[in-house]
Amino acid sequence: MSALLQIDGIEVVYKRVITAVQGVTLSVSERQIVALLGTNGAGKTTTLRAISGFLGIDDARVTAGAITLAGARIENRPPHEIAARGIVLVPERDKVFPGLTVAANLAVPVPRSVGAQQRQDEERIYRLFPRLAQLRHRIGGLLSGGERQMLAIASALMCRPRILLVDELSLGLAPVVVRELTQQLLVIRDELGIGILLVEQSAGLALTIADYAYVMENGRIVLDGDRERLRSHQDVQEFYLGQARGGRRSYREVKQYRRSRRWYG
Amino acid sequence: MFRPAPRASGYFRTSYAQDLSLLQSRSERISLAVFLLALAAFPFMASPFALDLACQVFLASIGALSLMLLTGYAGQISLGHAGLLAAGAFTTGILAREMHAPFWLTLPASALAGMMLGLVFGLPSLRLRGLYLAVSTLALHFIVLYLGGEYESKRGFSTGIVIEPPTLLGYKLANGRAWYFVLLIAAAASLLVCINLLRTRSGRAWRAVHANETVAEALGISIAAYKLLAFVISSSMTSVAGSLFAYYRGFVSIEAFDLFLAIQYVAMIIIGGMGSLLGAILGAAFVTLFPYIIESLLHLLPNVERLAGDVFAVNYAAFGAVMILFLVLEPLGLVGIWHRLQNYFLLWPFKYRPLAGARK
Repeated sequence: MSALLQIDGIEVVYKRVITAVQGVTLSVSERQIVALLGTNGAGKTTTLRAISGFLGIDDARVTAGAITLAGARIENRPPHEIAARGIVLVPERDKVFPGLTVAANLAVPVPRSVGAQQRQDEERIYRLFPRLAQLRHRIGGLLSGGERQMLAIASALMCRPRILLVDELSLGLAPVVVRELTQQLLVIRDELGIGILLVEQSAGLALTIADYAYVMENGRIVLDGDRERLRSHQDVQEFYLGQARGGRRSYREVKQYRRSRRWYG
Repeated sequence: MFRPAPRASGYFRTSYAQDLSLLQSRSERISLAVFLLALAAFPFMASPFALDLACQVFLASIGALSLMLLTGYAGQISLGHAGLLAAGAFTTGILAREMHAPFWLTLPASALAGMMLGLVFGLPSLRLRGLYLAVSTLALHFIVLYLGGEYESKRGFSTGIVIEPPTLLGYKLANGRAWYFVLLIAAAASLLVCINLLRTRSGRAWRAVHANETVAEALGISIAAYKLLAFVISSSMTSVAGSLFAYYRGFVSIEAFDLFLAIQYVAMIIIGGMGSLLGAILGAAFVTLFPYIIESLLHLLPNVERLAGDVFAVNYAAFGAVMILFLVLEPLGLVGIWHRLQNYFLLWPFKYRPLAGARK
């Protein structure tokens, strides 16, 4: 196993009784963008929280399986420790500090040894996101949705992560902005050589940039493969990309039980 | 602390060093120098009464600054700061009385006592938030006051502990003018400590924890550690203020540290303006001077003698009314008014400034 981040058959239980995720196995390597797809409630965010350590807040635990980063076990560790080890999460909603300027937002994760190192990192961020350089002294609360997403990714990069976890990149953003951001992710992967795990509802978007993708249903991974395989897979086309033969399917037809029957049966 | 453009004409910093310097322009340096000169000249012109008021404002400023760090920046509410002042005052009083400990020993001892109390009573903040946290810090207040009261009655100091004035560099601190300078330096030092703390990783971490714990933790900040650090630093600063208060008054008694004092400190940072060190100082001055202002206003009324008994009641009522008015009409506090004034004069004859340089 050479993958940097390796998840082996994890099970996540909420409040000691509710199983949300079962037997999920996935891996992210360096210089790889991996997408985790699925509908609402499929367990994508739970999986992401299991990796980033944010399960404790909701009284949930990883009860089986293992999560390893470069060989070291990290399941059920506190989030700040996981961040320090190199897995940094870009959260779904409130993702920037609204009262701090862009520059101060970027300085939040910087450790004690400031100085030349921080400036280099900050300048690298401004090369990746020129828009942030112009907005350096504007406070986070006055940024647009796309700018916030940029700032959130930039702050995460200031932690010098080895794996970047992005929860719902496209949530609430204009398509133009989303396209720009996905291009940035490709640049980040190529320039910094980090692994990116992208959790998305928008399969069309994820399958344009992901090298590899997993599809989750009812807390399990039901399908995985590289981009081309998933794109050409009939079920993905039908249920996620809306490209079924014979026109668009109605919601009734795309109901959960049909999918379950097909994939579990 | 990254500040927005300081001047209406634009943003002219071109290096990181300029970005980090405390004083950005010549006019800032000049106005600071003038202000310091005025502060230095004040005791030579003021009456003893005005001098005492100034000393009270300096003492209150130290407490308000430390509470501002905790509440305004780290977002942790405390109603225990009167208790912490008492802890500092009693540590000083007991050490000075029982062991004749000098100034340079009682002050660090008070800081240490505050630190330990801050650590212990900061622990609930890891689980509790808002109102619940406030109630748990109230326990600190009552425990410290109970212990202080027990000490007073057991040792027979039921009216309070009398402390000798301290000697500093062979000079006995007994007159108002000397105290004015000591407390001015103490307050200025506290302000500098706060400014610099806020410019370090801890300051950024506190504000991050305040704004959004999840994001802060995702970016590798240990929330527990920084909350406790805020409690420890704030508590030890407050205890030092309590120690200075004890020396200044020459007398320690639990009566001076009632719950109303704790509420007054919270009022200082609210009226001054949350999340601003300048606000803490303005609030400290306002709340300290407020009763005297009300009293002098009452003296303008006819038949003052008849009202003499009601002064306290009027004071409390007016204080409550002012709190409500600030909360409703000026949530940014005195510092909000100050920034509006500043903007008005900076921008004149224009009315609005562009977004990029917007003041918070």
